[in-house]
Amino acid sequence: MDHFTKRLRYVLKRLLQAVPIILAIVIVNFFLLQLAEGDAVDVLAGEAGSATPEYMAELRAKFGLDQPLIVQLGLYLKNVALFDLGYSFRHEMPVLDLVLDRFFATMLLMVSTIVLAVGFGILLGLLAATGLNTWRDTAISIFALITYATPLFWVGLMLIVVFSLNLGWFPTSGMENIAMFYEGWDRVWDIAHHLVLPTITLSLFYLALYTRLMRASMLEQAGQDYVTTARAKGLTERRIMFVHVLRNALLPVVTMAGVQVGALIGGSVIVESVFAWPGLGMLAFEALFARDLNLLLGIFLLSALLVVAVNLVVDIIYSTLDPRIEVE
Amino acid sequence: MSGLNWLRGALMASGLIATALTANAQQSGGTFVYLVQPEPPSLASYLSTSGPIGLVAPKIYDGLFDYDNDLNIVPALAESHEVSEDGKTVTFNLRQGVKWHDGEPFTSADVQFTVMEVLKKVHPRGPNSFREVTSIDTPDDHTAVFNLENPAPYMLRALSGYESPIVPKHLLEGQDPRSADLANNPVGTGAYKFTEWKKGQYVRLDKNEDYWKPGLPYIDRVVGRFIPDASTRTAAMENGEVLYGAYGAIPNIDAVRLNEMDGISVTTDGYSMINPMALIEFNTTKPPFDNPAVRQAISLVIDREFLIENIWFGYGKPATSALSSNYAPTGLYKDGLPNFPQNGDVAAATAVLDEAGVTPDGDGVRASFTLDLIPYGEDWRRAGEYMKQALGEIGIQVDLRYEDVPTWIKRIYADYDFQMNVNYFYQLPDPVLGVHRQYGTDQIRQGTAFVNSSRYSNPELDALLAAGATEPDAEKRSAIYADIQKILANDLPVANVFEMEFLTVYNDKLRDHATSALGAYGPFERAWIEQ
Amino acid sequence: MRNFWALFRRNRSAVLGLCILAIVFVVAATAQLFFPEDPFSLAGKSMSPPGAEGFLLGSDSLGRDVAAGIAHGAKTSLLIGLLATLVAVVIGVLMGAIAGYYGGLIDDLLMRITEMFQTIPSFIFAILLVAIMKPSIESIVVAIAVVSWPAVARLVRGEFLSLKNREFVQACHTVGMSDARIILGEILPNCLSPVIVIGSLMVATAILIESGLAFLGLGDPNIMSWGFQIGAGRTLLRSAWWVCTFPGIAILLTVLAINLVGEGLNDALNPRLRERT
Repeated sequence: MDHFTKRLRYVLKRLLQAVPIILAIVIVNFFLLQLAEGDAVDVLAGEAGSATPEYMAELRAKFGLDQPLIVQLGLYLKNVALFDLGYSFRHEMPVLDLVLDRFFATMLLMVSTIVLAVGFGILLGLLAATGLNTWRDTAISIFALITYATPLFWVGLMLIVVFSLNLGWFPTSGMENIAMFYEGWDRVWDIAHHLVLPTITLSLFYLALYTRLMRASMLEQAGQDYVTTARAKGLTERRIMFVHVLRNALLPVVTMAGVQVGALIGGSVIVESVFAWPGLGMLAFEALFARDLNLLLGIFLLSALLVVAVNLVVDIIYSTLDPRIEVE
Repeated sequence: MSGLNWLRGALMASGLIATALTANAQQSGGTFVYLVQPEPPSLASYLSTSGPIGLVAPKIYDGLFDYDNDLNIVPALAESHEVSEDGKTVTFNLRQGVKWHDGEPFTSADVQFTVMEVLKKVHPRGPNSFREVTSIDTPDDHTAVFNLENPAPYMLRALSGYESPIVPKHLLEGQDPRSADLANNPVGTGAYKFTEWKKGQYVRLDKNEDYWKPGLPYIDRVVGRFIPDASTRTAAMENGEVLYGAYGAIPNIDAVRLNEMDGISVTTDGYSMINPMALIEFNTTKPPFDNPAVRQAISLVIDREFLIENIWFGYGKPATSALSSNYAPTGLYKDGLPNFPQNGDVAAATAVLDEAGVTPDGDGVRASFTLDLIPYGEDWRRAGEYMKQALGEIGIQVDLRYEDVPTWIKRIYADYDFQMNVNYFYQLPDPVLGVHRQYGTDQIRQGTAFVNSSRYSNPELDALLAAGATEPDAEKRSAIYADIQKILANDLPVANVFEMEFLTVYNDKLRDHATSALGAYGPFERAWIEQ
Repeated sequence: MRNFWALFRRNRSAVLGLCILAIVFVVAATAQLFFPEDPFSLAGKSMSPPGAEGFLLGSDSLGRDVAAGIAHGAKTSLLIGLLATLVAVVIGVLMGAIAGYYGGLIDDLLMRITEMFQTIPSFIFAILLVAIMKPSIESIVVAIAVVSWPAVARLVRGEFLSLKNREFVQACHTVGMSDARIILGEILPNCLSPVIVIGSLMVATAILIESGLAFLGLGDPNIMSWGFQIGAGRTLLRSAWWVCTFPGIAILLTVLAINLVGEGLNDALNPRLRERT
């Protein structure tokens, strides 16, 4: 019980601490984005073909871009406090709707990628570490590295050429078959079918990281004093390896996976672009080049919330795996 | 070179065969999936001439006219029209029984409202197209009489559903058309009704059962797909997931390859109303380009054929004048002008520079500056890289700059902070609509994109442009434009590089899609899919 | 030192990596010698396949020599990778070590700053920075360093948190060692191996990020790099595979080599592994 309240208090404290961070993130991002030349109106007017300066001034007034920066920031913060992320200049839709609409697609790609990469990474890392310096170790290392070092778009395009064009197993791109507009389970199956190639492409990239981290971590732990102690106590190598070493070796892997969840939202711009996957990465990319600052700030804010939450969870898992790290 | 020419011949032949085959009975049904790239900002074609909007909106909105592939007028919402003797009154007889997608009847009040309150006020090119229109009378529900200040023959070329969409008065009246909800939920009279827009994925239109052309359209559903990566677009086309891609959606090099495949064809038809021209804008107010000799040298040294062959894979025609040679049938185009060598002329360029006293310094450098590139794709970067090398040969040192769209537009058209800029303009079906904006003194409009950023100002030329706009007599008009082109060929505030040829790549299952001069910006009402 | 080399040499793949890396460095250093022409020069017939028209690795759509581009690009890509990593590792280690060692308020503050950087999706952040600073080699290096250091900081902090309560650190406190000495001399060497692992991956990542930025059209248009070649050749992939495949292989080999060397360093530097190998 005491332990539980201690932990609860810790979580609350962390959540409270998160508020100023989120605030700081919004403010820093807000000013960072102001450094970019041009604004949403320049883009819209440029795309439209020709627009008069009067029209552009009117648009700026409509978007509130004619206000002094500090007023714009104040308004934005006020809205955020009321859980309102504002309006996208370009899409003429509430930012929250746009972001939530893409969030599902992003999470789908992100979670399946992480699961695949961490799962295979742990397995391969374990296999490599237990066969240290044998051909198995070398082969795994080199395989992981090659998948990592091959440019993502090249892997993506090659998978499309082989599995979509030549074998016809998977669709080239998109999230759904839009000639059919499936419903119910057919739709789930259809989305899963579309998910395969982008997930493989993206997880190949992350596979190396987890494999290597797992291997290094296993070796690191295998040299620790407690292993010697355990050996002295007469525990079998198998038991030492798979119970004691493995448990501790997962620590850095979990940290990294946590760190990566945040990065994956943005890290998939290339995969989303190649596979026309409607994720947040492409949305952010397009928002940046359209100077749709409300939308971009909204995405950053969401990603910040996600990272803060994930870090908290990682820290809790951390303290569970390694009791020497205190939760204070 | 000859290989590519052969290929283009074969291409045309395959187009002819395709046309011959369409004598078959049309089949109804099916979903037509095509490429829309990039995702449009909205579907408000009455507010923006943005390319991707043009790919979707004309399927929803009709114009008064459509145009066939020879640019002849085809009646659309206007069944017929009469122009008065003095050219100052144009009467449109409107089609009866046409309904908006929401069931309201279409009347002359919609035409009046669209032109006077929307196109003339908020459309980017509308104020120009309809600048002579002073008022529109509506004697009855099916007659619209345009009263003009001066004759405006070019106006009749600007009445397509893409250029001048007719919008519903009852959904816009009393609101600011720029912020009306119609932008994202369009309601038109066209062959297809707007159904759904899934951001980042597709926009979906369904068949308009009450379409005013009897028996049309054949297709049940039209879906415009957004695929950001060019190679993936090609793969989707190859795989039959999409049936149609225009305006460079498929890169030229892939188009050449796909054209050799069974079941996929390529055409350059459907762009005659657009007339795209690749060009260089010079900042004529600052050295080194305040000196016409330097501008001439640049136009002289560029190997236009090389650019077309190696970067656009044979699609394009070297420019020879300020006007596109596509204006030749109207008698406005003039050939045989100086400063437009097809293959570049290093000796002539050097001579011009020497004569003007722009001589090499100790390191052999005559001038150095930054070249800005239009941020609309890799091809333009390649063009810049080529130009950097070509200009190096005559001792002109170039730094390339490639920024994102907003930065670039602001730099060129608001801050005028550039020296030489590679760009392309649509010359449209008449120079008044597409070319005047680049040269007139009245077109030096700081903060407005795609107008006279060279800030070239020549009263003699301004007078000629004004005369050309209102001259009803074809012969006199062609003489005026000959003078305009002579002046511009020597002054070169803008050096035209080549007449671009956009490609449309399509699956042969898709039939009768190229029935309008507007091509991909057309209504697609007669298209059908072979099952 | 000789001892270290003996340990390093035992890992054959690391030696192989070192050899590849040495070759890449030699190519970068001698590019000017073997390819005196500007790598951007239009050297001959466009899209010549490897071996044809005197192009060892073919030519691109403008007739530029792919081999010359790879040789000259090696310099740029290595420079970007090494500089960006150096900056990132120095910042990351400092932040992480101080935060982990002192804990409390300092830890809170530094970690909040780190988190702030981490909360922005890193690739988007890099794109954003390059877009704001205008595409150039300098802005690419800065962008990569800025998005890379937080990972190092968190890792180092984690290690410090775990190590600072160990017996040997307690012992150092007892004998009155200064904080700086404990941090740099005692704890840091003990967590060097993961830093080396992550650092070596980072050089490689930097090279990959550069190619990713180039893929999206954000490379420096005036300097030859592998990323530039890939960006320029990607639409040709199906028609003239050599234009972006060879630079891709150059990236692959370099990234592979750097990682193998990193691995070898890790094994050789990690004292606890010695008995096992």
